[in-house]
Amino acid sequence: MEPDASIETSSMIRVAVIPISDVTPLLFRDYAAMLIRHHTVSLSSISSFYTEHQKSPFAHQPWESGSLRFKFILGGSPPSPWEDFQSNRKILAVIGICHCPSAPDLRSVADQFTAASKTYSSSLVQRCFAFCPVDSQLEDESVKGSNLILFPPADRQTQEFHLQTMVQDIAASLLMEFEKWVLQAESGGTVFKTPLDSQASLSSEEVIKAKKRRLGRAQKTIGDYCLLAGSPVDANAHYSTSLELTRLTADFFWYAGAMEGSVCALLMDRMGHKDPVLEDEVKYRYNSVILHYRKSFIQDNAQRVSPLSFELEATLKLARFLCRRELASDVVELLTATADGATSLIDASDKLVVYVEIARLFGELGYHRKAAFFSRQVAQLYLQQDNKFAAISAMQVLAMTTKAYRVQSRASIGPSNDAGQTHADGGKVHHHSIVSLFESQWSTLQMVVLREILLSAVRAGDPLAAWSAAARLLRSYYPLITPAGQNGLFGALVNSAERLPLGTRCSDPALPFVRLHSFPLHSSQMDIVKRNPAREDWWAGAAPSGPFIYTPFSKGEPNNSNKQELTWVVGEPVQVLVELANPCGFEVMVESIYLSVHSGNLDAFPVSVSLPPNSSKVITLSGIPTNEGLVSIPGCIVHCFGVITEHFFKEVDGLIIGATQGLVLSDPFRSCGAAKFKNVLLPSITVVPSLPLLVSHIAGGDGSVMLYEGEIRDVWISLANAGTVPVEQAHISLSGKNQDSVVTVASETLRSALPLKPGAEVTIRVTLKAWQLSKTDSDAAASKGMPGSSVRQAKDGSSPLLLIHYAECADVKGNKNLCLAREPETVSAPPPGRRLVIPLNICVLQGLSFVKARLLSMEIPARIGEACSTQAQLERGNTEQVNGSERHADRLVKIDPNRGSWGLRLLELELYNPTDVVFETSVSVDMENTSNQENLSDNISAEHGEPKTRIDRDYTARVLIPLENFKLPVLDGSILGNSFQNNGTSGSRNNSFSEKNIKAELNASIKNLISKIKVRWQSGRNSSGELDIKDAIQAALQASVMDVLLPDPLTFGFRLAKASSGDINVDREVKSCVSGDSIIAHEMTAMEVLVRNNTKEAIRINLSIACKDVAGENCMEGDKATVLWEGVLSGISMEVPPLEEVKHAFSLYFLIPGEYTMLAAAMIYDANEVLRARARSDALDEPIFCRGPPYHVRVSGTR
Amino acid sequence: MIVCLAVVGHENNPLYIQSFTESDDALKLHHIVHCSLDVIDERVNNPKKSSPAINEAFLGLLYPTENYKVYGYLTNTKVKFILVTTDLDIRDADVRNFFRKFHAAYVDAVSNPFHIPGKKITSRTFGERVSSIVKPFGLNSAS
Repeated sequence: MEPDASIETSSMIRVAVIPISDVTPLLFRDYAAMLIRHHTVSLSSISSFYTEHQKSPFAHQPWESGSLRFKFILGGSPPSPWEDFQSNRKILAVIGICHCPSAPDLRSVADQFTAASKTYSSSLVQRCFAFCPVDSQLEDESVKGSNLILFPPADRQTQEFHLQTMVQDIAASLLMEFEKWVLQAESGGTVFKTPLDSQASLSSEEVIKAKKRRLGRAQKTIGDYCLLAGSPVDANAHYSTSLELTRLTADFFWYAGAMEGSVCALLMDRMGHKDPVLEDEVKYRYNSVILHYRKSFIQDNAQRVSPLSFELEATLKLARFLCRRELASDVVELLTATADGATSLIDASDKLVVYVEIARLFGELGYHRKAAFFSRQVAQLYLQQDNKFAAISAMQVLAMTTKAYRVQSRASIGPSNDAGQTHADGGKVHHHSIVSLFESQWSTLQMVVLREILLSAVRAGDPLAAWSAAARLLRSYYPLITPAGQNGLFGALVNSAERLPLGTRCSDPALPFVRLHSFPLHSSQMDIVKRNPAREDWWAGAAPSGPFIYTPFSKGEPNNSNKQELTWVVGEPVQVLVELANPCGFEVMVESIYLSVHSGNLDAFPVSVSLPPNSSKVITLSGIPTNEGLVSIPGCIVHCFGVITEHFFKEVDGLIIGATQGLVLSDPFRSCGAAKFKNVLLPSITVVPSLPLLVSHIAGGDGSVMLYEGEIRDVWISLANAGTVPVEQAHISLSGKNQDSVVTVASETLRSALPLKPGAEVTIRVTLKAWQLSKTDSDAAASKGMPGSSVRQAKDGSSPLLLIHYAECADVKGNKNLCLAREPETVSAPPPGRRLVIPLNICVLQGLSFVKARLLSMEIPARIGEACSTQAQLERGNTEQVNGSERHADRLVKIDPNRGSWGLRLLELELYNPTDVVFETSVSVDMENTSNQENLSDNISAEHGEPKTRIDRDYTARVLIPLENFKLPVLDGSILGNSFQNNGTSGSRNNSFSEKNIKAELNASIKNLISKIKVRWQSGRNSSGELDIKDAIQAALQASVMDVLLPDPLTFGFRLAKASSGDINVDREVKSCVSGDSIIAHEMTAMEVLVRNNTKEAIRINLSIACKDVAGENCMEGDKATVLWEGVLSGISMEVPPLEEVKHAFSLYFLIPGEYTMLAAAMIYDANEVLRARARSDALDEPIFCRGPPYHVRVSGTR
Repeated sequence: MIVCLAVVGHENNPLYIQSFTESDDALKLHHIVHCSLDVIDERVNNPKKSSPAINEAFLGLLYPTENYKVYGYLTNTKVKFILVTTDLDIRDADVRNFFRKFHAAYVDAVSNPFHIPGKKITSRTFGERVSSIVKPFGLNSAS
């Protein structure tokens, strides 16, 4: 039984090619390869070497078209016992190959060759080819006569040509030898024997039988030689004769042999043309061959020898001949029969050959699974032989089966396929991996194959293959392997690794499973922002600038695809999180793991990690980009179990997808209790050249700033450039919640510091004002009674963020040129800028809380004295000054006793201090908008500081704000709205409109008023702020704003008329009207009533004066009048010119000492719109009353 | 006697392999089933022009090995049924009948809303039903 047998084998001349005297295997193989190329030598080419000594027995030799075919057997082979039966099994020629530089003595070479060729007794021609002889050897005459042929050193082509000539010479010699042999054989005498013929003691019967059969056998052998000599017609003739003779002698074995030969002759004659008729003929004849081989089976010597191998060989030859897809069923039938027959083969190597051939033929047929099955049988046969080489063979054969069982090593898949996987579109790869997952379910078979590979590799002493098999077994089938088995594999891995040199790489990953966990985003300190070169504010992004939120055109852009994009910066460390899982029952010690970077522009840092049994871990792998460009990170390089392997993320992803679909045994991460599967897409990562890097530092610690509500404080932020490139452009903006709490940012400071060189630092000031806690927050805080709630609040991002966008090149255009010079591809895209986010961690504590606001009206009646309080109204500015100066003095609201406070209103704020510190509050009314004088007074007051109200913790305090000063000096139409001017003509139609106007005007004035009121507070040494109570004030004021803001149209005042001085402008400083002792009962007291018109038009009035006693009864009229008077007291008609004062004198005579109240009232005639609006009277004809404030008169008794 | 029954999915993934022998030859039967996929692939890819009905699901005898005969059946969804039997003389009609019954059982099993297509069939009911079909088969052919 021989491997590679085919029908044509019968026509091949077997040539042993043997190395002579120290040829390195590599060289030998090289020379042999050169030789093997000349396996077919055409007859026409050898005719020049051929000389016809006698008449050739090959009468029909096709000299034009025929050829001799060689089968070179490297290393030679032992003689076959079946040489006589099939002449092509004989070694008919021996070619020695010698490499002269390693064999200086040519004579010894010649001797060695002669000795070596002696072992091939059947050989007819011997030649020894000596390559590369040196000059001295070329001149060596001693070997002239031997078979040594020297090939002078030359280029390869010349050598090949030389070699071809030599082969042709050999062919011619052989042909002549064949002729000689055939002529000899025909003449008779040669005995043809096969092992089938009984060897021992030929009985006479046997001898006669042998004699009879001799002729037929001789004819068959001659036919064989004819085939070898390339003359099918002659061969056919001899075979026909042989067939006749052998059939007659019932020599079935030889009959079958002759039949085989005849088929070969037939095929040779057809010169390789195949047609169905020929196929049928071959099939028919071969079936007969097989049948006759079977017939020749002799029970007697079945133990020793059997023609079964020939039968099987013939079957295989036929199968090989037919081996085509269309005839698959025939071939399968033949191969199945062969496989069945092989079980009864005695010789193990025959069995091996048969299985090898079956496997090969199945493979050729496309039946990969069957081929794999038989390959496995072959491997098992190899493993039965207990030697290393058999084990190596077994391992190699098994390695071939891995493809069919889908357990192949990644090394055998090949790099091209791999590259295709990484670069192809997602969908296709996915499909491929899924299919392989499907196939991977034949776990029973796959595990067996891998285990056998492991076994054979261990036996063959190939630690790497053993390691790879154990790794594949463990990685793919750990759920099916018992813990003991897993430990065994672990041991196999470790043992193999011990035999491997340090740093060996294997293409098949073992444990642990590695998957991509996430790419940590840049910290907000290092955010990279793509620059939009078209805009001045480049950070505003490449968002579509059109009016539409969604534009279909932007959809196709790569930026908008769901694939994440990452930008890394040269020289700045990056991190990638990966998750490792060890689902096995032993501890996995990963000696080092680092990112595998195929693009080669990242320096990855190895990490060592240990995974306990059944555990998973998320670890951070880091690296530093070294060059700009794209980075591809397909996986990790893992050094574990003594071998370096590359683990691809994609494979594990496929595995996990398979696990979710139930295609894979188990999800290694899930079984280790890792978090749920989330598919992390490998983002496209770009490395950009170095960028500047600003690092911020808040002076006084980066912790949060604790501020009470309304507190104002400066924060100093220092910015340092930690990068290697200067910052040339920077812009500060705000984002986040509570942006208005940032009062000012000294962005000019930053701008003036540009360009910020690497290492340089700049400090900018940010003024913060704490915002008000919202109602719910403060409630919550109150209910908890703890500042903790506000601390929590600081965390949930209510603080504003300071965004600093900065970049390397200030001018995008200039940068463009720079880039152009640097790299033409990225002309359009300038290097990105960066964003520094500085969270202003403001922790707002509840400060003073506002409880309520009330508007109080004070009704302290004025005293009547010589200096009348109406002066206050007389000269507005002066009174203000008085007020101001008063405030100078003692900072308290003083009430002029002569003036009373009829018009005075006080805003009372009730404040509560829920904190644990003491607050001091002060109220100021800024009059900046009114006049310089007031401004002055305000400034002064600011200098001196307002009177402070101290509010202890958990106490409530009230703060009063006098509002009188806000009264406008003149009651004017302009205040109440212009509409009054129109009103006269257009009637009440515009009323509603005008009212609206009034409202708006009023609101504006109120706002103005409110903005002037400031409640400042201070706590401790360095906390100070302002209470935000605008809304509260407004609410309090809303109802009575008219009264607060607008003066009455008329103001009334009383005073004692001095007989001496009729001058109104009494010196104010004189405190003459101190007490009531100037009024004495039973005396005539001269008094004056002063009426001032506050409007811009003259008013006609009907003035009346009343005096009431303590009980409130009119004491001037009626029966019990206690006051007598002189002059007119009622119905005094007068006209008051605009903005002027009119006085009316009268005298009173008090009969009884005590307290009296003087009241002045007036009825206004012909009231205009302004007055009517002020009085809130709708009716046109309704008279308008104006009442003055009560004046107190204290009448003392007699002195 | 039926020694092995297998359902193989359209991606050549085994969905169900059940052997009905006492001896421990599961691996061998796995191999036989696995190898028979070659033949099915070949038949599916190169349908014989002379085949009587294109819609015929029954693939007939796939190949005889040693002591076994392997029959195949291909559903419309490219799911393959493979039957390994030790009965060497067996009528195609019987096998066809058997496959039809088995097909019905399979359809019922995968119609289970809790069954995930492409996943191995683990239903116990299916297993029981299959064994109830397998048992009489041997008896019929024996008689």
